Amino acid sequence: MTDITITIKTAGDKKHQATISTSATVGALKEQLAKDLDIPVERQRLIYSGKVLKDGDTIESYNIKDGHALHLVKGAAKPGSSATTSTANATENDSTSAAGRSSTPPSNVPSNIASGQSSFDPLAGLTSARYAGYNVPMPTLEQMGLNADGMQMPDENQIEQMMENPLFQEGMRSMLSDPQMLDYMIQQSPQLRAMGPMAREMFQSEYFRNMMTNPQALRSMMQFQRMMNQGPGAEGAGAQGSFPAPGNADSGATTTTTTTPATTTATPSTATNPSTPANASTALPPNPFSALFGNPAAANTAAGQSGNTASTGAGATPAPNPFANPNLWNMLGAMSGGTNASQPAPAPVDNRPPEEVYQSQLRQLNDMGFFDFDRNVRALRRSGGSVEGAIDELLNGAV
Amino acid sequence: MSLKRINKELSDLGRDPPSQCSAGPVGDDLYHWQASIMGPPDSPYAGGVFFLTIHFPTDYPFKPPKIQFQTKIYHPNINSNGNICLDILKDQWSPALTISKVLLSICSLLTDANPDDPLVPEIAHVYKTDRPKYEATAREWTKKFAI
Repeated sequence: MTDITITIKTAGDKKHQATISTSATVGALKEQLAKDLDIPVERQRLIYSGKVLKDGDTIESYNIKDGHALHLVKGAAKPGSSATTSTANATENDSTSAAGRSSTPPSNVPSNIASGQSSFDPLAGLTSARYAGYNVPMPTLEQMGLNADGMQMPDENQIEQMMENPLFQEGMRSMLSDPQMLDYMIQQSPQLRAMGPMAREMFQSEYFRNMMTNPQALRSMMQFQRMMNQGPGAEGAGAQGSFPAPGNADSGATTTTTTTPATTTATPSTATNPSTPANASTALPPNPFSALFGNPAAANTAAGQSGNTASTGAGATPAPNPFANPNLWNMLGAMSGGTNASQPAPAPVDNRPPEEVYQSQLRQLNDMGFFDFDRNVRALRRSGGSVEGAIDELLNGAV
Repeated sequence: MSLKRINKELSDLGRDPPSQCSAGPVGDDLYHWQASIMGPPDSPYAGGVFFLTIHFPTDYPFKPPKIQFQTKIYHPNINSNGNICLDILKDQWSPALTISKVLLSICSLLTDANPDDPLVPEIAHVYKTDRPKYEATAREWTKKFAI
């Protein structure tokens, strides 16, 4: 019974305000519009909520509320078009004409939705010509650490930048999905070649992929690697022998999906900070070093235990062979202490305000309708910057 | 989660829909919508009204909605089943996108087809080699099915 004011949008983005009772019929509205806009009733097609409104129905029945907008389309006043009943004839026929317009019978619709719409095979077509024109910035083999001598890794910031580039990820994925490319990679690297068929298996294993999709694991592996290489000669070689796979894998198999780059957008320190694991469940088990590396205090304590002088920054004199030492953890701690000391900038503490660190994530959360800044920041902290994780936290009421 | 988001989009669409598109639930099921797109004036689809169905996945907005044309349309990127070849409905989907933005993208696809990534190669071929013929056919189909 109440009167509402609605906006009528016509072609060319023109707007017209109309006031009508909610109990009035669409037909009545059209007559009103015919006077106001000088469009004959039979040529009017009113659309709301994706539906063509039928003359006999009331405004109420379409749930049109005050302030809502309708679209008005001028139909062709062409009499007697056969298959598609023109609205000019009888607007009661709108439903049938709408049905006539759709060429696919409704029964076909559900079965077709899955087909062609969603790409269930994410790897399909990645090697297609579609990407031929893209200038995929693939790293050279040397950059990737696949050269024979010494597995020199680019530093993690470089890797991170590469990994964030969607084109690079695309390229990586397509590369890994190509068995020939795998062969090539394995052939290129003596360490991998030495592993024989195992190398291929490794590239295809779930665990390996998991490891590769976790930026944190990558980072600490790289750090570990570099640390080992820093040691004088013999020991470095030992390290390489023991850890060929992760090193190559770092660059060679960054199957990084776009779901976990959250932490990588933050500064290095947040990534190595043990209190913000992006994905604690997967990050920590395979990666027990991260805590040690990220936390100089712990490292120094460990160093003290092993009797090394790392705490004074003299870690440049590492133990001859870390793997001979039964107290491996302590040793690692000591070495990381040494590494930190010898590096000019040992992962500075991130003092930036949360709105800066989580800028993009906060924007996404806002876009999704989470407006409570404090809660968003708390949730992002808990999830380590992952938007999806933060939403889980927000919805569980955990923050 | 998804319901809250879908409701928000619905109320935004009711109040201020894009000038060329309109969408809303078919019945009580908020995961099943229909939409209509008015053919852009500067395209051979001008004057036509095209109907689409929208199915939201339960994990919307993390997964893209499934959108299909119900109205037959002659277009290189839309096949006879109504499937649409549009990157943001597949790998380029982002949770920050909304139905309104997606419908606008489909509108612009109607104005500017992408014959280099076609769903119907025959139409794409005509589009590339004989544009007037493509436009005439598209106009004819629009007249036949969408007006």
